[in-house]
Amino acid sequence: MVLIIGGAYQGKLDFAKLHYGISEEDIYTCTEENGIRFGAPCIFQLEEFTLWCVRNGTDAVKFFRAHRPEWENSILICQDIFCGVVPLGADMRAWREMTGRLCAYLSREAESVSRIFCGLEQKLK
Amino acid sequence: MNVLISGGCKNGKTGFAQDIAVRLSGNGKRYYVATMIPCDDEDRARILRHIEGRSDMGFETLECSRDIAACMNGAKSDATFLIDSVTALLVNEMYPDPHMEQADQSAAFRCQSGLLRVAREAKNAVFVSDYIYSDAIRYDSFTETYRTCLALLDRTLAEVCDTVIELCAGNAVCHKGGLDL
Repeated sequence: MVLIIGGAYQGKLDFAKLHYGISEEDIYTCTEENGIRFGAPCIFQLEEFTLWCVRNGTDAVKFFRAHRPEWENSILICQDIFCGVVPLGADMRAWREMTGRLCAYLSREAESVSRIFCGLEQKLK
Repeated sequence: MNVLISGGCKNGKTGFAQDIAVRLSGNGKRYYVATMIPCDDEDRARILRHIEGRSDMGFETLECSRDIAACMNGAKSDATFLIDSVTALLVNEMYPDPHMEQADQSAAFRCQSGLLRVAREAKNAVFVSDYIYSDAIRYDSFTETYRTCLALLDRTLAEVCDTVIELCAGNAVCHKGGLDL
């Protein structure tokens, strides 16, 4: 599994397309409403899945642990939302924490972790 | 040579950019291109602090809050330009009337072509921007549009610059090129 993280609009998906030959059909985009569906070679916007988790009382890390065989060969992309001030709303705080814990877990499991900054790759692992 | 410096707020980007500009320019002319339009006393105090900070560094200050390529008009051809900042330039171009919440939709492309012209034509240019992409907030479309446009400018500059630096608590993380200028 490859993990790609980075701030909003930094070019994470463009990087995946360029470096891993991902095409539009290979991408599953998570949403706050529908959560996640495994199976696609590239899963985009994990931060929407974690927001779905917060809304539905699901633990994102436990969920990923339980479905390990379904994503262990995927490219996972998540927006880094950890650097701002502590959000005022409880659900946004929970969202930030859930996303941070999921990324920390996935970083440990990943064979490669890249952070995208202004379209440039910073190899973290 | 072109250098992009970004990072979080209050990480010493301006001071770092000034040092880089001094090193790049050698004995050549150096311009500090100020883009911010002061709105209140806090802004004016900040500008005074910046002016004081670079007073003995040999910069000539040019005020250029819009149409950034115009900073090169009449300037010496072998000069080094420090553009501080891309963030403020985009604000000024996008919201020409600060009391109106109406964004100028073509502003980002105008800034993009102006910045590219500076990068192409100036002997050396140092661009300062701000990294505002990693917080856990659902912004309104007004703010989100601004973030999208600034990211476009940042990525454009990162592509054409020889060196890209992220400052973190005053420390330089080099994403492209190197610091042996």
